[in-house]
Amino acid sequence: MNTERNKDEPMIEIRDVHKSFGDLEVLKGINLTVNRGKIVSIIGPSGSGKSTLLRSVNHLEVIDQGNILLDGVQVNRPDMKGLQFERHINHIRQNMGMVFQHFNLFPHLSTIDNITLAPRKLKKMPPKIARELGMELLNRVGLASKADVFPNWLSGGQKQRVAIARALAMEPKVMLFDEATSALDPELVEEVNQVMQSLAEEQMTMLIVTHEMGFARDVSDWAMFMDGGVVVEECAPQKLFSNPDQERTQNFLRKHLNS
Amino acid sequence: MEFDFTPVITYFPTLLKGVGVGSLVAVIVAFMSIVGGLLVAVISIYINKIVSWPLRFFIWLFMTTPLLLQLYFLYFGLGEWILIPAIFVGILGLGFHYMAYNADIFVATIKSVSNGQYEASRSLGFGHAATIFYIIVPQAFIRSIPQLGNNMILMVKDTSVLSAIGVAELVYASQYAISVSFRPFEFFIVIAAMYYLINIFMELGQVWLERETAYRR
Repeated sequence: MNTERNKDEPMIEIRDVHKSFGDLEVLKGINLTVNRGKIVSIIGPSGSGKSTLLRSVNHLEVIDQGNILLDGVQVNRPDMKGLQFERHINHIRQNMGMVFQHFNLFPHLSTIDNITLAPRKLKKMPPKIARELGMELLNRVGLASKADVFPNWLSGGQKQRVAIARALAMEPKVMLFDEATSALDPELVEEVNQVMQSLAEEQMTMLIVTHEMGFARDVSDWAMFMDGGVVVEECAPQKLFSNPDQERTQNFLRKHLNS
Repeated sequence: MEFDFTPVITYFPTLLKGVGVGSLVAVIVAFMSIVGGLLVAVISIYINKIVSWPLRFFIWLFMTTPLLLQLYFLYFGLGEWILIPAIFVGILGLGFHYMAYNADIFVATIKSVSNGQYEASRSLGFGHAATIFYIIVPQAFIRSIPQLGNNMILMVKDTSVLSAIGVAELVYASQYAISVSFRPFEFFIVIAAMYYLINIFMELGQVWLERETAYRR
């Protein structure tokens, strides 16, 4: 396979994206490209628009202007209406795994059913094969023993690992992480980071919004600092975290690394 | 005053038949009011205002008028044009009455399911309707169990009101026996005990169901 060429293929393209909540413009023309197999981290203070940007990629926020493409296919389609758009976005979203700050596991389903529901219902996967897939994914996140346990019996870190497995079950082309470790107790952050690290090693394309500066520096190919709805600075993570050009970035990192 | 329970024993098979009729009505009404209530709630929350407005009116109508009046209206009022057998009127009347109350519960519990659940499901690729069906409604249903249980206990007691339109449930069944034996006190105390027993079992069932679903909440 021609991996060199593939590596430069853009998987996520964000072009001049604007988004307002009422009078407040939270995204003021953002551009970003994530190539296949690359990991991009977005950092920034609360209210900087970084979560809104990530949610826009999954169309959980509807952008006002600009374009977002997943593997060359346009995500936002203002020209489509009603059910036509729903079919389009459902299909797009099956190629995008999303991991939320508050896990959002389905409490009425067991761990394994949380993972297999989408493949069973959306891909019509037979239950037996879905269960095998689910067990394989649970193994991967180190929770095979918890298959038939319900989410409320899991710790925060375990919940987030199941949530990652659930997102992986649809075999997405990219994974989106919206502050995946922000709601966790400090001692539980590492187990989730390890799972994300293993995904990185498997060349999963990832867009990560995070407060974990150390993790972002170690795992990312590219890092972006946002503030006030604009990209203040973006570069290789080694440079961004140790020697940023912009004063705003310096101030943010100083505050964040000291706290 | 002396108590004489022998007529109660004599007519006990009649009373049991009344329990049977009442139970049959209660089971059908429970099914109808829960399924119907859920549909009404889903439609009134998710479908546009024009469709949901008549449903809101219907809920309002059944919640603001007495059950007995509703039964009289359906049986004697509509009876001027169409005579529906009393047991059907009873089932429909009780069914709609509790459908309204159950819908009210479901509206609250559906709205209580966090938006994060909706987003998580949509982000996996489920559509709006599939998300409601697989994710929102099951969770809302589990949260509704305690209040649904209470409603169903009220409903079972309210089957006694159907005696007013001649449904042969427990209270109605006792009326003939009382009229020939002149022993209302004995009959009514026994009937009260029978309702009490039925409700004890229902409460046990409710507690069991709540415990069985607690870990899924």
